[in-house]
Order: sequence, then C-alpha cells, then structure tokens
Amino acid sequence: MLLINILFGLAVGFIFGFILTKTGVTKYPRVMGMLLLKDFKILKFMLTAVTSSMILFYLLGDFGLLKVVPKNLDWGKLVGGLIFGTGMGILGYCPGTMAARIGEGKKDSIFALFGTAIGILIYALTIKPVKSLFLSGEINGDISILLGINRWFIIIPAAVIFISIIYFVNKKFDDNKKIF
Amino acid sequence: MKVDNSKEWHWFTGGILVSLLSVGTYFIFAAIADRNYPFGITAGFGYIAAQFGNLFSGLSENPVIKRFSEKPDAFIEFFILIGLIAGGYIASKISGTLSPENIPAVWEKYHGKSFVKRYVFVLIGSVLLGYGAALAGGCTTGNILQGWAHLSLGSIVAGASFFAAGIITAKILYPKLGGNDASN
Repeated sequence: MLLINILFGLAVGFIFGFILTKTGVTKYPRVMGMLLLKDFKILKFMLTAVTSSMILFYLLGDFGLLKVVPKNLDWGKLVGGLIFGTGMGILGYCPGTMAARIGEGKKDSIFALFGTAIGILIYALTIKPVKSLFLSGEINGDISILLGINRWFIIIPAAVIFISIIYFVNKKFDDNKKIF
Repeated sequence: MKVDNSKEWHWFTGGILVSLLSVGTYFIFAAIADRNYPFGITAGFGYIAAQFGNLFSGLSENPVIKRFSEKPDAFIEFFILIGLIAGGYIASKISGTLSPENIPAVWEKYHGKSFVKRYVFVLIGSVLLGYGAALAGGCTTGNILQGWAHLSLGSIVAGASFFAAGIITAKILYPKLGGNDASN
C-alpha cells in the first residue's frame, strides 16, 4: 500500500511536471508577463484545462462515476489568496511550477521550496489566533445549491465565459512578443 | 520526419492533457487515499513543514502539523512534488532548455545582478506563498486547475485573489517595461 502511494505520487508529479515544463508555463517571463497582462499563454492553458475538466467531472458525476465536492468559502480563501498572490508576484512562479523549475536547474526555486515550507510552519503556529480573528463562518461552496438551480445552468455559462476569454486574449495578444 | 523538441507545446495541448490527468487522478486518489479530490501540491509542502515541525517536541500535537504528518494524501503529495522535479528535469533535458540559473534573466535586467537582493525577495515571497496557500486551502493547482473546474465558490474567490494580488505586485516590481534584448 505504501509503495503504491509512493509510485502513484511520483507518476502523477512526473506527468504534471513534464506538461508544465513542455508547455513553457514554468518560465519566469511568462508568469510575470501574465501578471502584467501582456502574455496570456498561461491563462489560456489554465482555462483550457479548467473548462475541459469541469465538463468531464460533471458529466462523469451525472453518470454516478464520481462525486464532485466543491470547496466552501470562508475568509481564509480571500485573505490567504491575497497573501499567496503577493508571494507569486514576487517569486514569478507558484508551488507546482516551483518544483518543476528545480528540475530545470533554476536555483532560486530550491531556496523557495524551503521558504514555502517555513510559511506553512508559521501558519501552523499562528492559525489559532488567526482563526478566531476571522470568525470561522463558512458558506457552502456549491453554487448550484446556493442558487437552487440545476448545476448545468452554471456549468454551461461558465464554459462559455472561459472560452470567450480564451478567444479574446488569443485574438488580441501575441504569445511570442518580447515584453521585457 | 524530424521532430523539433525545443518547441513549446501549444497551450491547448497542455491544457487538455492536464484535464485528463486531473480526471484520471481523481479515481486513483479515491481508491487509495479515500478522498474525493484530484490532486494538489500544497499538502506536499505541508508534509515537509511537518517534518521540520516534528523536530520540536512541543509541535507534534499542533493540529496542522499532525494533519500533514499523518494523512496519507499529504504523503502522496510529497511524492507528487518529487515527481514534478523529475518531470521538469526530463522535459527540459529533452527540450534543451535545462540550464543552471541563479537569478531569472528578466529579474537581472530590471533589478540587477545582486544575488542577496533576489534571494531576500525569494525568501519573503516563498514564505508568503506557503502561508497563503495553507490559509486559502490550496495553491494554483488545487484552487484553480481543480477548484475552478469544480465550480467551488471558495476556490473562485481564492483564485481571483491570487490574480488580484499578483497583478498589483507585478506592477510594483515592473512599473515600466521596455527593451528588446531580453532573453528567456
């Protein structure tokens, strides 16, 4: 069982890292280019993955093959998200691409790996007072339950919005233009 | 036919492959780790943090440390992390882009060659990244690639916050752009 877990983790990570590096989304100029709203290759890559998995997940869910469990909303999502985004802007990569970059020989990502672990350690030490500050209220993360409508009334408009964004940025911006 | 390995894959190819990986992973994860969520990266960093934490006897009862050192999914995500390093290595080796680099070239062009300056920024940035990912319950992989696909309200807010703060930070670091001699 332990060996299966290890092999499974290694295989998923390997495939994911291979895709990230091969698609070029681990590159510092691409990440900063996206955050500066000039290079949208990463956004197009992400929204393609999101749209395709969204449809696959919910279709398989309707066939009873899996159960989609949306994440709830609490204050940590907003505050943690803003802290994370600031870190991502400073680094020029996120945790997944950081690991792939280590494999590519980028040394500052090795340093960042330990920094990220330290960040989680600080979280572990401070979460008690922080949680009491944000009052641990939570909202159900399933939008279709919140609105009381069939989930395909959300999935289809979401897919249309994502595809429109991809279409728009693809038309308007060139991925290979030098911006720095 | 000669295949040019140095070329980047199209964003569409990469995106579709990631979605297939997500869906495939879901089933295996559900079978071996009893959780109904595809994959993330944050818990893998949590596993490393828990190993640090366990060095101090007072911390072993901390609920976060306990969760990351005992739950099987954190253990698996630690190996996803190792796999990512290997995947990045092989992909860059095949593409011919494997290159030891201390500081990103673009950073060097705008912020100078100072090793200390970049690494101080990296330390601050990565601590924020880890803290934020833990508080938001996931990073770009868990909250956008998976969370947006699940249409999770929590993840939509988290992902939008990633972009909002990232865009502002990038603008502060690179207020003015220019020049044509930059290289990747």
